[in-house]
Amino acid sequence: MNMLRVLTFGVVALAQLGVPAAMVWQREQTLKHGRVWKFRTAPVDPVDAIRGRYIALRFAAEEFDAPEKFESGNKSAYAVLKQDKDGFAEVDHLTTRAVETDDVVPVESAWWYKGKQHVRFPFDKFWVAEANAPAGERAYVANNRRDKQNAYVTVKVRRGDAALDQLFIDNEPLTEYVRSHPSG
Amino acid sequence: MAGVRNRWAIRWLRSQLPELVASGVITSENAQAIEHHYTDDQPRTNFAFVILATLGSALVAAGIILLIAHNWDDLSRGTRTAIAFLPLLVAQGLVVFTLTRRNESRPWREAVAIFDVAALATAISLISQTYQVQGTFSDFMRTWLALSIAIVYLLRTTFGAIAYVIGCVVWLFAAWGMFSPEGNPTLFWFLLILVIPYVAIRFRLDRNSRETGTLVIILALASLFGVGATADFANAKVGAIAYAGIATVIYLCGMKFFPQPNGRLHSLAVLGGIAIAVVTIVLSFESNWHMTTRVASVPRSSAANIAVVIELLFPITALSLIGFDLLRRRVAFSVSAAVSPIVTGLAWVIANLCELPDGRWQSTSCSFAAATVMNCYALVLGIDILARGIRTNSIARANFGLLLIAALAICRFFDSDLSFVARGIGFIIVGAGFLVANLMLFRRRAAS
Repeated sequence: MNMLRVLTFGVVALAQLGVPAAMVWQREQTLKHGRVWKFRTAPVDPVDAIRGRYIALRFAAEEFDAPEKFESGNKSAYAVLKQDKDGFAEVDHLTTRAVETDDVVPVESAWWYKGKQHVRFPFDKFWVAEANAPAGERAYVANNRRDKQNAYVTVKVRRGDAALDQLFIDNEPLTEYVRSHPSG
Repeated sequence: MAGVRNRWAIRWLRSQLPELVASGVITSENAQAIEHHYTDDQPRTNFAFVILATLGSALVAAGIILLIAHNWDDLSRGTRTAIAFLPLLVAQGLVVFTLTRRNESRPWREAVAIFDVAALATAISLISQTYQVQGTFSDFMRTWLALSIAIVYLLRTTFGAIAYVIGCVVWLFAAWGMFSPEGNPTLFWFLLILVIPYVAIRFRLDRNSRETGTLVIILALASLFGVGATADFANAKVGAIAYAGIATVIYLCGMKFFPQPNGRLHSLAVLGGIAIAVVTIVLSFESNWHMTTRVASVPRSSAANIAVVIELLFPITALSLIGFDLLRRRVAFSVSAAVSPIVTGLAWVIANLCELPDGRWQSTSCSFAAATVMNCYALVLGIDILARGIRTNSIARANFGLLLIAALAICRFFDSDLSFVARGIGFIIVGAGFLVANLMLFRRRAAS
């Protein structure tokens, strides 16, 4: 009976290890082999920016001109990306075809209003360590205003999987920026 | 048998022994025999120790997380990943140790179980942070619960089972919160069903223990939340019948599976009784019976239809339990309370008899008739509980019956068109009822 319990626990233990391990494996593959896309962040309400230990992100590419509304019905929607003249990502068009290429990311929701198509990318939280959270928040808010837009994130995309990599403030990763600008 | 003895009473009796010997009521041999009799009755594991061990392991797990979180950014992704897995591996080692060497120690099993599930949550959240894995809180809870339920069975942990049920409710609120009103609650019922065999095992082993009692109460409360979310998602206007059904199922289970001596009620039966009373009072408001064609005309998804089936399972289960006991002629419950789903079903049919107003929730003669049925039922229920209380000499039950009648009176005071004189007389009658019933009961108690 006891041996059976131990053996059963062996299976449970493998499942407990397997779930986080699978998360690591998939992300490692995307981060190692994925294509790098730079997404310019969009200004957010400072009150909304920090939610506990992550920075809530919005992107300039989440809003683009579209003559008519995109209809996905009950299907999932995907954004096909292209680079603008400055090297930042923007949405070329939306589709319901789940193509596993390095220029397609899933979108969580899509709505249309007065000639503008809006989408939400699934990578909208940037986790920060407890020690860096307040300084990170200050730096992000200060560099993500309408009059001072100086922040972007890098996202690696591989076969439809999008992995958020770094948040850059003034071309420096957030952690390094916080270290080199202690006063924010 | 020992499990049902009152430990406080035993402690008191033991403390009285020297006095009883000194005053010559019993001999010292008698005192020794009593002392010896209760020596074997010591609980094998100290309940407080089990709680402290569980709490201690949870604090250790939390402390590890805090230590790791400090200066997290200085570490590479690989180091962070290794650290994330470390507490989980330690916890898993402790589980194996407990299963092989400390399998009969309850504090070990309870503490290690909590440590393992806390370490699992730590691993998932730290990996999520390290790799910027996105996802909602409800996704996280779902994965965590699915990976934790086996621990409840393997380590036979009742605290773990209680925490699991609370976790299911947390998932329900995360998925069906005010920001996501369309969350499908079917998974909640599936997750809850996974713990039912453990409840059955506890019931067979020790139905009268405090832990089993707490587990079934938490399970009943979780089901009440689940019915609310299911009714909201189903959007079929049968929530009233579902709520009457679940309240009656809780009451009947308390009466049937947890019989108590001397006419006392198990807390599960009390909870069910209170739930029946609350549902009846809520449904006595006419506005809760306003029907419209809007619900019927909305295109229905298969998930919403499944939710309707889940809703209707509760009144069906209640009726089956009543029918089973009626067939075996073993009616140990209050019939007036148990018929709650039937009366509510009748009121629902009446409310739907009229031609329904299109698109707007408004009053009809049928909604008025349905509310009248519920008002009459609430009155009958209150009087029956009051009469039972007087018959069984139970002050609590008699006052609960009176409270139900008073609640009904107060509700009608606010929403009916009765004159002030009629309302005043109504309140005087209810207040006098309180005084007379309590006077009768206290006199009878004093006499006996």
